[in-house]
Amino acid sequence: MNYHFNWSVLWSGQSGAWLLQGLVTTVELSVLAWLLAVTLGIISGALRTVSIPPLRWPAAFYVEFFRNVPLLVWMFFWYFAVPPLLPEPLREWLFDHGAEFWAGTCALGVYHGARFSEVIRSGIQSIPKTQFEAAVSTGLTMAQAYRLIVIPIALRLIIPPATNESLNLLKNSSVALTIGVAELTFQTRQIETYTAKAFEALTAGTLIYLILCLAIAAIMARVERRFAIPGMIAQGSAGEF
Amino acid sequence: MKRVVVILLAAVFLIFMNMRSGGADTTLEKINRTGTLTIGTRTGSPPFAYINKNNDWVGFSIDLVEQAVIPVLSKKLGKQIKLEKKESTPQTRIPLLTSNAVDLIAETMTDTKERREAVDFSLTFFVTGAQFLVKKGSPIKGIESIGGKRIAAQQGSTNARIIRERVPSAKLLEFPDQPAAFQALAQGQVQAYTNDGIQLAGLKAKAPKPDDWAIVGDFFSHEPYGMAMRKNEPELRDLVNAGLAEAINSGKYFQLYDKWFGPKGEVPYPLTPETKQFLQKQAVSK
Repeated sequence: MNYHFNWSVLWSGQSGAWLLQGLVTTVELSVLAWLLAVTLGIISGALRTVSIPPLRWPAAFYVEFFRNVPLLVWMFFWYFAVPPLLPEPLREWLFDHGAEFWAGTCALGVYHGARFSEVIRSGIQSIPKTQFEAAVSTGLTMAQAYRLIVIPIALRLIIPPATNESLNLLKNSSVALTIGVAELTFQTRQIETYTAKAFEALTAGTLIYLILCLAIAAIMARVERRFAIPGMIAQGSAGEF
Repeated sequence: MKRVVVILLAAVFLIFMNMRSGGADTTLEKINRTGTLTIGTRTGSPPFAYINKNNDWVGFSIDLVEQAVIPVLSKKLGKQIKLEKKESTPQTRIPLLTSNAVDLIAETMTDTKERREAVDFSLTFFVTGAQFLVKKGSPIKGIESIGGKRIAAQQGSTNARIIRERVPSAKLLEFPDQPAAFQALAQGQVQAYTNDGIQLAGLKAKAPKPDDWAIVGDFFSHEPYGMAMRKNEPELRDLVNAGLAEAINSGKYFQLYDKWFGPKGEVPYPLTPETKQFLQKQAVSK
C-alpha cells in the first residue's frame, strides 16, 4: 500500500501533550469508575448470596438490568437522560463542570459494578458453606461473618477474573468518547484530525493501552502473591510476571 | 514475559510490512479487474449522503459519483462500472482509503493542506464555511460571542480546530457524530453547535421543529469539499476531475445542485454567483 509513515507527528506540535492529557483522563476515569464498580460489586455480589430474599432481589435486579444493556447505551443514558431529572441550577453547574466526565464515570462504574458483582458472587459461592457456619458458631453475627471471613477469602479467590474485569473497564473507558470525554482514544483521533496521520496516531494509542493493561496485570499478579493465604489455594500458577 | 513482547512486536511489524507491500496494481487496474468502484460515504449527512425515509442511500455526493464519475470511468475502461458504497466517518475515511478498503471518498470532506499530505483531492465540488446552530433567541451571534460558552463540534472536523485556536476560552465539547451533538444542543449540555453551514442547514431541515433553531454568524472558515483518493494515482484523479469538470461544463452539476439544494430540494441552499463562477473557472482550467 502506498502510505508513508511519518512517526515524528507523534512528538512534533501538540501531539505529545494531547496523548499525555488523554492518558491522564483515561486513568482518572478508569480509577474513579473502578472504585465505584468494586464498591457496587462487593455490596450487590454479597447481597446476592444472603439467605434473605428481599435483600437478594434488588441486587439481582441491579445486576441483570445493568449488565444486559450495552455500555454505549448507558453512556447516552447518563449523559442525556439523567441531567433533565436534576434541578435546573445543579444541572447548569454540572454542564459547566465536565458533566460528560461524570456521566462517563457513572456509566462505566455502574455497568462494570454489575459485572464485578457476578465475579464476587462466584467467589463467595465457591467458599464451602461450612466456613460460614464455623464463623457464625464462634459468635460472629451474619454481617460480621461476611465482613471478616467470607469476603476477605472471596476477594483473594477472585483476583484473576477481577483482573480481567479491570482490564475490560480500562479498555471500555474509550466508549466515553461518544459523549465527548477527551480520553486517550479521543486524543489519538484528535492527532489524526490535525495531521491526517491515522496509523501513527492509532499505533501510539494502541501501545499506550497495551502498556497500561500490562502494568495492571503485573500489579494484580503481585497483589495475588502478596495476599495469598498459605495452604489455601494451589499455588504455582499465580501470575507470570 | 520478554518473549511475549518480542512476539507481539514482530506481529505488529509484519502487519505493517504487509500493508506496505500489498496491492500491486493501481486503483484503476483494480476497478477494471473488479468492475466496481468502491466509495466511502456518509449515512447521516443530508443532503450529501444519507439514508432517506425509504431506506435508500442517496445524496448529492453520491449522485455526483453516479452521474459524473462513473460514466467517465465506464467509458475509459470500456465496460459498465458498478458502484459500491461503504460507510465512512471523519475518523475512518483516511484509513479506509489507505488500507484499500475504498477507492474514493465522496461525502463532506474538506480539502485541507494537512490532508493533502495523506490523500489526493479532486476538484472542489461544494463550497461552504463554518457557522453555529443555536436555539432561536440565543445570545450567541457568531464566533465573536462564544467566549466562555459551551460549544459542541464534530470530532475530526476542521471547525473544532479553528475554535480551539481562535477562542481558547470557549468550552469545546467534541462528539463523534452529528445526532449526539444535536441532542446535546437540544438538552442544553451545550449552547451552540458548530459545523459547516450547509450541514447545519441539513440538520435544521430534518429537526422535528425547524423553526426552533437558527443558524448564526458569518463563515469563520472556508470549507471546500473535494473527493479524496489515495496518493499518487494520477490516472484515477484525472478521470474523476474530468468527470466533475464535464458535469460542471455541461450543466449536469447545476441540475443536481438544484435537485438537492434548490427551492424544492432537500435542503434549500442557493448557489451564490461567486461560488458558481469559482466552480466554472476551476472546471475550465483543468
